[in-house]
Amino acid sequence: MVSNQTGKFKISSILPSDRVFILEGKPAKAEVIERLTRAVCAGEAKLDYKDVLAQVLKREEGISTTLDTGLSIPHARLEELDAFKAALAVLPQGIEDPSGPHLEIKAMFLFLSPARQAFFQQHLQILAALAEVFKPEFISALSTCQNAQQVLDKIDAQ
Amino acid sequence: MTSNSDHSDAKSPLRVKKVIVLTTAMLTFIPFWKAAAIVLCDFGSSAFYAGGIAMRAFGPAFPWFILAVMLFAGVLLAVYVESCSLFVRGGVYKVVRDGLGDNSAKFAASAMAFDFLLTGPISSVTAGHYLSGLINSFLLQFGAGFTIPEKSFSVAFALLVTAYFWRQNVKGIEESSTKSAKIIAFSLAVCFLLAIWAFITMSLRGVQLPPFTLQFSPESLGWLKDLDWHKTIGVFGMMVAFGHSVLALSGLETLSQVYREIEYPKPQNLKKAAILIFIFALLFTGGLTFLSALIIPPELIAGKYNENLLSGLAMSLAGPNFLKLIMQTLVVIAGVVMLSGAVNTALIGSNALLNRVAEDGILTDWFRKIHRKYGTTYHIINIVAFCQAVVILLSRGNVYLLGEAYAFGVMWCFVLETGSIIMLRFKRAAEKRDFMFPLNIKYENYYIPVGMILVFLFLLGIALVNLMTKQISTVSGLCFTAFLFTVFKISERLNARKANAMFEEGYRERMNTAAASDLQAVVKELEKPNRILVAVKDPDNLYHLEDVLSTVNADDTEVIVLYAKPVENILLRQDMRSNAADEKELFTHVIFLAEKYGLPVVPVMVQSNDAFYAMAQVAAAVDAKEIVMGVSGRHGSNAQMERVVMAFSALKEAELKHPVTARIVWEGREVSYRFNK
Repeated sequence: MVSNQTGKFKISSILPSDRVFILEGKPAKAEVIERLTRAVCAGEAKLDYKDVLAQVLKREEGISTTLDTGLSIPHARLEELDAFKAALAVLPQGIEDPSGPHLEIKAMFLFLSPARQAFFQQHLQILAALAEVFKPEFISALSTCQNAQQVLDKIDAQ
Repeated sequence: MTSNSDHSDAKSPLRVKKVIVLTTAMLTFIPFWKAAAIVLCDFGSSAFYAGGIAMRAFGPAFPWFILAVMLFAGVLLAVYVESCSLFVRGGVYKVVRDGLGDNSAKFAASAMAFDFLLTGPISSVTAGHYLSGLINSFLLQFGAGFTIPEKSFSVAFALLVTAYFWRQNVKGIEESSTKSAKIIAFSLAVCFLLAIWAFITMSLRGVQLPPFTLQFSPESLGWLKDLDWHKTIGVFGMMVAFGHSVLALSGLETLSQVYREIEYPKPQNLKKAAILIFIFALLFTGGLTFLSALIIPPELIAGKYNENLLSGLAMSLAGPNFLKLIMQTLVVIAGVVMLSGAVNTALIGSNALLNRVAEDGILTDWFRKIHRKYGTTYHIINIVAFCQAVVILLSRGNVYLLGEAYAFGVMWCFVLETGSIIMLRFKRAAEKRDFMFPLNIKYENYYIPVGMILVFLFLLGIALVNLMTKQISTVSGLCFTAFLFTVFKISERLNARKANAMFEEGYRERMNTAAASDLQAVVKELEKPNRILVAVKDPDNLYHLEDVLSTVNADDTEVIVLYAKPVENILLRQDMRSNAADEKELFTHVIFLAEKYGLPVVPVMVQSNDAFYAMAQVAAAVDAKEIVMGVSGRHGSNAQMERVVMAFSALKEAELKHPVTARIVWEGREVSYRFNK
């Protein structure tokens, strides 16, 4: 399957402001995933929170989704979906990724994709865009934001 | 590509920690004409002695038979081409082991070793004769009242040449294909000059074709000398004469040794090399021997020029003496260089052969002992060189005696090799062959090799006739072969436990490793504009590398093979060390694949906690247009692709100069993603 990436993906297009959080302190990674999953599932009748969380955590058991830039991208591909859903947590104090004691997570972008193969290239495109945008300097800048809207504005400005 | 960082970021636990560049001579490939030149330096050198020996054995009909043997060489080359299409690292031992079994292989290896043991001495002693003949020609020309004793000089010269190449081989100095090509080009020019002058001479003096009548000397009939029925059966006499001429085939085996080195496209280049070898041998050995018989008076061929026939041709041409001396000098230079090259090939060939036997655990560690300084199997080289020196001394400079002893090894190797290829048509019927010896009948899933069976029967016939007629060859060949076979058997028994362990472990290619300061060291090695990065991890999962090698345009694309070895003491999800592959085993398999296609690859190993990060970093550093990897049975292709995409994008610092495609390839399937500019 070969497909071309066309155009630039706009992160804010799948990220409403009510799913953006600035979390103070040092919560556990699993807690942050739970919170973001709950936020994405809220208002989505087709999605069962527990089932979605299980799938996200299962994916986390596989190849790491944390980058050395400070970004973690937990994700899952779900049969129930036909559009992308996402939630973001900015973690100004940073948390340690238990899967790698030397990795610090300062931003966690959870996103859910439709499982159908036709969406896979777009799914990869989103991952690429997130990894490219969320560089250490940008994450540091997000850490200074006071609210979700400021975070979104900064993302939009990229 | 300026987009990604190529530095080893010490702060990040994921990025490359250490870069190791691997080098090996096994990844150097040569064009077909260089491969042909290597073979011809050995095979073509028989032009300098085969005619003289054949003349002494069965009289003035010898050029017809040398010509026939050279034509037959074309048939044998076709057998070798089929053999090479089955075995990249072939050689008679391996082919016979697969075709006819272990004992036959040991017999073939013993016979081949006997062949090498004589090739060196016959070549070096002949070179000595050519040189002493030239010196004597000069002494005569300038009125010196003495000549040097040719036989003693030849022995001394042969010992010197053998000692020189023994030292070179112990030091591990590789045979240069470029040097071989220059030797062959020079020899071809000399051959051309000789031929032109010979034709002018013939037009001045007239020409009479050599007779076809066979005049066997009593010694050339061996145990059949008291029987006269062979004289009434013409075909049998022809077979005896042919048997005395087959020593001209010496060196053909080198083709299977050199096939490993032939560059892409390997099968086509092998065929081209075989055709080139055939044409050269036909013109050089067959043609010059024929011209010698037409121009040199028979009594001089049997006498003065018996051991340096082509010098005789030069000195029998029409023209002033000083010009003939110049021509003789050129012939002697070509002869000495080619024949000395054959001495080297014999040492290399026997060392390679016995190493191959040793790899199977048949020889004890003593034989495999590596030289501390040079890393060569010097015990084997010492033994072969010592035996060759003994043979030279025993010959007392008599080329005919060496020629008589010869042919046992070469003939039985041809018989066993051809027999094995026939057997493999049935044993490995399903295997794809780039070339099949002609004349086959398809029956169900098999191609019955009618043509090759005829060749086998002919070879067997000649080998059996030789057993009866070439007494020295039969006695010495059988004794030596039986001795070496026994050594193999005893050594194998002594080594049985170790051999099993070696078998379990498998063969490992020797590679030089050098730690590089950063990834830029890899970039410096690259010359071609396009680069493909192939990530490898599992020696049994290299389908993706084969996919790349089978489709890549080698003229403008460099294939970089990367193994990201997990770093010690840093734990991510699990103990990374447990995931580490044996890099020697891994890269041995990579080299085997590169050899199969005749394409060079750049092997690189990096230490990293995240293979995907390593891939992205190296891809950026080398400016790769493609990143190719195999599928992981544990994680699956989608998760792999996700990680590659994340890692590559995270490392990206500026716009790409060109699109980069990441591909995960496995049998019949592929997942890909394209990073656009």
